[in-house]
Amino acid sequence: MRSPGRVVVIGAGMAAVRLAEQLVSAGARSITVLGDEDHLPYNRILLSAVLEGTHRAETLTLRDAEWYAAHGVDLRLGVRVLDVDRAAREVLLADGDRVPYDRVVLATGSIPTLPPIRGLVRMDGRLHERVHAFRSLDDCRRLCAVLDRWDALGVTTERRAVVVGGGLLGLQVARALGVRGVRTELVEGGEHLLRSQVGPQAGGVIARELRRLGTTVYTGARAVRLGETDGPEGGRGALRLDNGYVLDTDLVVLTAGGRPSTALARRAGLTVRRGVVVDDRLRSVDDERVHAIGDCAEPPGLAQGRTSGFVPPAWEQAGELAVHLTGGEAGYTGTRSVARLRASDLDVAVLGDPEHAEGQVVEVTNPLAGSHRQLVVHEGRIVAATLVGDLSRIGLITQYYDRGSVLGPGEPGALLMADRPTRPAALPDDAEVCACAGVAAGAIRACSSLEEVRDRTRATTGCGGCAASVRQLLATRPSLVPAKGSPS
Amino acid sequence: MTQTHCPYCSLQCGMTLARSGRTLQVQPWPEFPVNEGALCRKGWTATGLRGHRERLTTPLVRDRATGELRAAGWDEALDLVAQRLIALREQHGPDAVGVFGGGGLTNEKAYSLGKLARVALGTSQIDYNGRWCMSSAASAGNRAFGVDRGLPFPLADIEQTDVVVLVGSNLAETMPPAARHLDRLRERGGTVVVVDPRRTPTAERADLFLQPVPGTDLALALGLLHLVDAIGAVDEEYVAARTNGFEQVRRSVAAWWPERVERVTGVATDELRALARLLAGSDGRRPRAMVLTARGAEQHSQGSDTVLAWINLALALGLPGRPFAGYGCLTGQGNGQGGREHGQKADQLPGYRMIDDPAARDHVAAVWGVPAASLPGPGRSAYEMLDALGTDGGPRALLVFASNIAVSAPNATHVADRLAALDLLVVADLVMSETAALADVVLPVTQWAEETGTMTNLEGRVILRERAVAPPEGVRDELEVIADLAARVGSPVPFSADPAEVFAELGRASAGGPADYAGIDYERIRAEHGVFWPCPAPLDGRSHPGTPRLFADTFPTPDGRARCHVVEHRGAAEQPCPEFPVHLTTGRVLAQYQSGAQTRRVRDLPDEGVFVELHPMLATRVGAYDGEPLTVTTRRGTLTAPARVVDWIRPDTVFVPFHWVGANRLTNDALDPASRMPEFKVCAASVAPLAAGRRRSPETVGAAR
Repeated sequence: MRSPGRVVVIGAGMAAVRLAEQLVSAGARSITVLGDEDHLPYNRILLSAVLEGTHRAETLTLRDAEWYAAHGVDLRLGVRVLDVDRAAREVLLADGDRVPYDRVVLATGSIPTLPPIRGLVRMDGRLHERVHAFRSLDDCRRLCAVLDRWDALGVTTERRAVVVGGGLLGLQVARALGVRGVRTELVEGGEHLLRSQVGPQAGGVIARELRRLGTTVYTGARAVRLGETDGPEGGRGALRLDNGYVLDTDLVVLTAGGRPSTALARRAGLTVRRGVVVDDRLRSVDDERVHAIGDCAEPPGLAQGRTSGFVPPAWEQAGELAVHLTGGEAGYTGTRSVARLRASDLDVAVLGDPEHAEGQVVEVTNPLAGSHRQLVVHEGRIVAATLVGDLSRIGLITQYYDRGSVLGPGEPGALLMADRPTRPAALPDDAEVCACAGVAAGAIRACSSLEEVRDRTRATTGCGGCAASVRQLLATRPSLVPAKGSPS
Repeated sequence: MTQTHCPYCSLQCGMTLARSGRTLQVQPWPEFPVNEGALCRKGWTATGLRGHRERLTTPLVRDRATGELRAAGWDEALDLVAQRLIALREQHGPDAVGVFGGGGLTNEKAYSLGKLARVALGTSQIDYNGRWCMSSAASAGNRAFGVDRGLPFPLADIEQTDVVVLVGSNLAETMPPAARHLDRLRERGGTVVVVDPRRTPTAERADLFLQPVPGTDLALALGLLHLVDAIGAVDEEYVAARTNGFEQVRRSVAAWWPERVERVTGVATDELRALARLLAGSDGRRPRAMVLTARGAEQHSQGSDTVLAWINLALALGLPGRPFAGYGCLTGQGNGQGGREHGQKADQLPGYRMIDDPAARDHVAAVWGVPAASLPGPGRSAYEMLDALGTDGGPRALLVFASNIAVSAPNATHVADRLAALDLLVVADLVMSETAALADVVLPVTQWAEETGTMTNLEGRVILRERAVAPPEGVRDELEVIADLAARVGSPVPFSADPAEVFAELGRASAGGPADYAGIDYERIRAEHGVFWPCPAPLDGRSHPGTPRLFADTFPTPDGRARCHVVEHRGAAEQPCPEFPVHLTTGRVLAQYQSGAQTRRVRDLPDEGVFVELHPMLATRVGAYDGEPLTVTTRRGTLTAPARVVDWIRPDTVFVPFHWVGANRLTNDALDPASRMPEFKVCAASVAPLAAGRRRSPETVGAAR
């Protein structure tokens, strides 16, 4: 291994921790991780599962403090980074400390964008008390605290919430609130749900499913103003939409949009488009001692002006960078992304970018079953897919997608069809019934009792699994001689 | 009438052998609790090799002039072997002689074989085919629990649990009478879960079936532990009181959320959650559960870590040591358990003692009557020894007992080359196996009905194989062969050929070790339907009852706690690629056993030959038709066999049974770093109909575009 020298990672999210892990396992010894949150690094993508109540918040922590200490990782939490001084090769902290580096890695992630809604922000610059962002563990805890309070008062089902944003996070949060019992509405400015991932047809199916589960969905509508109403039980928020609707609500959760956090990079004079522009070794195009990974980075291979926003690419970048920093040869060539909606009773998976991928489309829509599934196939390979409402075979389709398997012409269609039942109704005489003793149905039909079957064929004397079939076969045995007394 | 046990798998079903005239008949032994009189067709037809025309009844020696094997007397054959072994030892040192044993040998034979290597030959080069069978579970069991006994409870306990999870076990076909316990569990209202890339007959009996990509059982276990912790189902009290290292393990699975597991394993999140809920229980009631792994999970280059991951899950749920709950390994070979306890493993001495432990060396050397310093250290593991045959520093002679390496070793073409590079290959077997056919000297030995000795079944129950008939003239028991050979190579101490004497010596050698047999004798085994180890020698005149159930109060680790180990999913050593786009996995069929040397010769067992199982979707893609020849190719070899188009296999996977020559020409020799287990259960392959085999066309799966 080549020592990378002093590595300073700015950010303590999932990409940062992955990088630290990979550097540790490659033998790097001087790693500093600077996180602005107070918590130990955690698994951010499970926050909506915590809200829904399917995951305990404590299980989100990725590594114990002892792990960082034991592996020589200097983890500093609750620190704000002011600047990266590239000339001095130092990171400047808000408390005045300067952290020298040989390599600095920007893993600052993304920051939520506030939608232009009047009344969202109070005079003191803080969010309106009814308004919650949903980005960090603290956000999640605050929202959980509200729900817990309602649960304690027994009023949850009388409470209303509006989720702003119909992307993956918005859907998850809306579903989580619904599962918790809150009457939830969802507002999406675009013409259909999940519009950065799927087409209108899939978006429509998702909206119908969400409505079926009790969540009202407004698409093509923007929230423009948050006010207050007076009511018998006290005040409520009133969220006005640009189509004239006013939604009474106790809670507004903002999930719409995030953008790469690039302020540090800009101040340091690095090239930034949507994200920090890096080459295939995840180096800033301006400074070989500066790297960027995860949501804040814009590596080659991504469509112009897009950053990914998902964990697998961030991890892959972390892995590639660790190899590169420790003297290995690697080049980042882009990751296949699989976006999976994480919410009860709402089955959505998006592989790659089905709206923009080049290829032929094979799709099956079944409005009766609430499903819409589409595979985009290029030269025999699944290059993108949308699966809504029916995830059967997802474990196979993702394998084919990830591995670039070349399929036959009929195969994508077959993948979207249901399995056929394979057992014939009546067993032919030569069908093996008892595998242990190798006995066919005919041999059993030739016997008159279970005892005879045992003695003559040894069927049922091994694993015993055929006993039920044998009894059935004996019962259906055609009688050659009519029983006495029966009408002929 | 003789009450003995089936010659084949680790269930060691009790059976009665009855003579009527010249024939020997298999009849039930209903009182034996493991199988209660049930047998599969292999057991019912077990006498099929008696009087078989292919039975070897005279030693054979390869004639230098003709290159053919010719009949020889025992003295001639053994003298020849002894002289050449002595010469090789003088010329190249004691490690120039290798010994390869088998999991089908009785405890007495395995013990004597180990002693032959360490005392008479002075070689460190001894290992056995169990290295390719249970070694991953053995390694994991030792690390987690401080002991390796396949099942820590009697098999029938399965009937009393609430949930049984079978990971990579097709016991309905590989040990059919065991499936009766599953059925009784279900009749009681219990739940059966099967994890397998194929919907096997065992999976057909399951209430929940998970069908992962081959080689991803580890990730599945990590994902289950993640979910169990997420929903608050970890048994915190148990974990705190009875384990070490759990907190690190808990953190290490934080990054294995269900959707990530789904992507890696191909198991849908709904199924994963369903299993987690089953294990967690409901209404505050914690179910009794058993997690049982077998070769499907273990025969991987990450096999021992895979087992550790499932053990972590079992520990998190507080299962090991609780009544009718825990983790267990379903051993494969007849004496796979005992065979790994008494010194035919490269790193072990009798009683499951480690050969690099000075106290163990002193104890065993004292029983053997030799200086401890004369005992060699650890040798090469099974595949590593084969890989070194005929190379500089590797063995130049190999003695093979009860193993058909030419069929059962991974990367078999390479292994055949290594065998061919030997100066001397000696094979003891009952028939002319594929390995015997390559030998310079072949020694005809007894089969099960002709010998007495103990076996230790998958439960750790020591049972007695009893002689029912005399062997054919010219055939000798391996104990005699080993004792005779020891004398001829100048052993410093004599070897007994009497099984009861050898067993008593084995008991003394094992005394105080993890697998303590000192309190067991043949009479007790007969009277008690077997005795579970550990069973130390009588104390103050009171005999030890044996130990049917382990871990109730403590684990045999230095601090009495089980150890949780952080493990990560690395994936199979060989991943599909454009040239080899599908997974190949291997396994067994009901009517055959292991390399088939015995079962393929039993007339009443169907020998359908090797075949290639694949899904209709894959068959359509490559243009394969049921029954038509299909060629499977890997980086190591090629096999052509009839296609079997079935819907119970994953469409990205093909299956080939390993009882015939061929399957293991394809398999990968990547080894598990801890257990040295080869990766039999997954590698990358291409498939194409025979006619299209040499043509690269769009229909060929292997065609890279």
